[in-house]
Amino acid sequence: MLQEESDLSLIIAQIVQKLKGSNLYAQLERQAWASLQRPEIKLESLKEDIKEFFKISGWEKKLQNAVYSELSVFPLPSHPAAPPEHLKEPLVYMRKAQRPVGEQKELLNKWNEMGTDEPDLSLFRPVYAPKDFLEVLINLRNPNYENGDSLSFRTHLGLIQVPLKVKDIPELKELFVELGLTTGQLGIDDSTQVPPELFENEHVRIGQKVLTEQDSAAAQQYIRQGSPTALRAELWALILNISSHPEDILYYEQLKTNVIQHDLLVDSLIYKDVKLTASNDDYYFVFEDYLYQVLLCFSRDTSVLSHFAYNSASPPKSYIRGKLGLEEYAVFYPPNGVIPFHGFSMYVAPLCFLYHEPSKLYQIFREMYVRFFFRLHSISSHPSGIVSLCLLFETLLQTYLPQLFYHLREIGAQPLRISFKWMVRAFSGYLATDQLLLLWDRILGYNSLEILAVLAAAVFAFRAVNLMEVTSLAAAEAVLADLSTLKVMPLLQIFLFATVT
Amino acid sequence: MSRVLVPCHVKGTVALQVGDVRTSQGRPGVLVIDVTFPSVAPFELQEIVFKNYYTAFLTIRVRQHTSTHTPAKWVTCLRDYCLMPDPHSEEGAQEYVSLFKHQSPSMTFPKWLSHPVPCEQPTPLLEGLPDPSRVSSEVQQMWALTEMIRASHTSTRIGRFDVDGCYDLNLLSYT
Repeated sequence: MLQEESDLSLIIAQIVQKLKGSNLYAQLERQAWASLQRPEIKLESLKEDIKEFFKISGWEKKLQNAVYSELSVFPLPSHPAAPPEHLKEPLVYMRKAQRPVGEQKELLNKWNEMGTDEPDLSLFRPVYAPKDFLEVLINLRNPNYENGDSLSFRTHLGLIQVPLKVKDIPELKELFVELGLTTGQLGIDDSTQVPPELFENEHVRIGQKVLTEQDSAAAQQYIRQGSPTALRAELWALILNISSHPEDILYYEQLKTNVIQHDLLVDSLIYKDVKLTASNDDYYFVFEDYLYQVLLCFSRDTSVLSHFAYNSASPPKSYIRGKLGLEEYAVFYPPNGVIPFHGFSMYVAPLCFLYHEPSKLYQIFREMYVRFFFRLHSISSHPSGIVSLCLLFETLLQTYLPQLFYHLREIGAQPLRISFKWMVRAFSGYLATDQLLLLWDRILGYNSLEILAVLAAAVFAFRAVNLMEVTSLAAAEAVLADLSTLKVMPLLQIFLFATVT
Repeated sequence: MSRVLVPCHVKGTVALQVGDVRTSQGRPGVLVIDVTFPSVAPFELQEIVFKNYYTAFLTIRVRQHTSTHTPAKWVTCLRDYCLMPDPHSEEGAQEYVSLFKHQSPSMTFPKWLSHPVPCEQPTPLLEGLPDPSRVSSEVQQMWALTEMIRASHTSTRIGRFDVDGCYDLNLLSYT
């Protein structure tokens, strides 16, 4: 069809445009020039010979990985008449729900009061704690949707009231087909009772082969069944298309210099956050220094601003003193446009187990943030956005555990109030680290955060018997307070594939 | 061959419903938008661009003047073109849409172009049974309602099977 062809050429043109400005393009050019000296390159068939050379030397693979990486992040081609805001977020009422500019300015003023005094997080509660973000999401309304207060068959019994499209279990089974009962999984089939010849050995062998081939797409497919611990760091780097070139290390060193030379008000926010969350965690307190290094550099990294093209949020803008409203004097504050919130450092902490070299750790975290984590704290209609995840969780619970859902609702313990904090942090700090990494394997493998909502529902299903007996929100919270003993993959498998529906 | 914007006049929506519009409470699912082209010369329409706002299906009908002698007739260019795959959710609700000439049988578009625009609810499924998965989620809501009723249990008897206050097997007749 004409339409699809023109869509495809549009995508190709946009990706080529993006890659032209990248390091890879310069390297390919250099390699092409250098290859002219090789005997097999003939003038008559110059184009084909160079292409052949790229294929043999592995450069074509690198280009393939770069294109694949762009495609994973790239939003779908939009209509030519659509303005850029439409690309960030198509629904007008969700765009309007972003924090208004006035409130952002108020925020900046409040930071001055923080300084180095006693940590008084009460100043931040209105904006930063997940609970308050949940209140904003609960109050989202579609002006075109008739949803009266009286109970009808169209009433949403959960907290989220916007009618986004979410998958049901049959569709989730199709999406997560590799998690099925007949497919081997790390997290299940590598337990001590299972002899390694059945699955584990072969899986590790395939993993090593994928790494030798350096193919991003194959790695992403492979990791759906979990990654062996020894190969995980390299596999994630391959999927996220991170390679440690001297330029990248230099970029990180420059950011470090910025940290040493200039203070930012955001820094005190980061210090407080690390002290209050990661430093108190049994698993992550050893990485305190790494966390400062990564987060302080992150807030100064202006390359993060490019993700706002497809993020529904916008970076807070500030003006040089006395030049309010003049665009030439506008700056983004903080420089990366991301205001960290309470618990932000927990996105970085699990990565410290995988990467010990600071610049690599930094790059991996930055890529994970601009691909996945930003969706967990911005208001959008994207299927992996936090609003859709909340609705998916509530719908799954309501459809497949109706008695539990009804009971919890009756005692004033709306399930989302308990599970929201898990999903916003992608379960970091709630699960044991090895289980968390198995979960994040699947996030990378499926390029989607929907698994977080499925896991949340699976946890409720697992503790359903205890939850049916509680009579208050506090008691329900107590039942679900400790997730550190849970095994993630069996829970997911049972919920998706082994529950009678 | 360059393309230019054709000036057109888009009239307000008219609801298609039976009965008096003013008195009836119902919200019509089908709306009609008339579009006229004030320019005199006939042109070849290549593309129609618009932004959707919660319309599920679109039908476009064109009034064609084939010649000055025969009366103009209405031709359907596009019938029930789906803009929202699931009308009860947000997919496609506020998207920008382009409709091209090749999507409808080729013809030249004259001055008159009128397209009815159904919104919100699609035509109900008259053939066969409703979708089972929809029914199960709606029944679940009904179950919640019955739970509420059961919770407010009273001791008044319904009284359907009472005959003078008693229902004894021995009183049944076998004739």
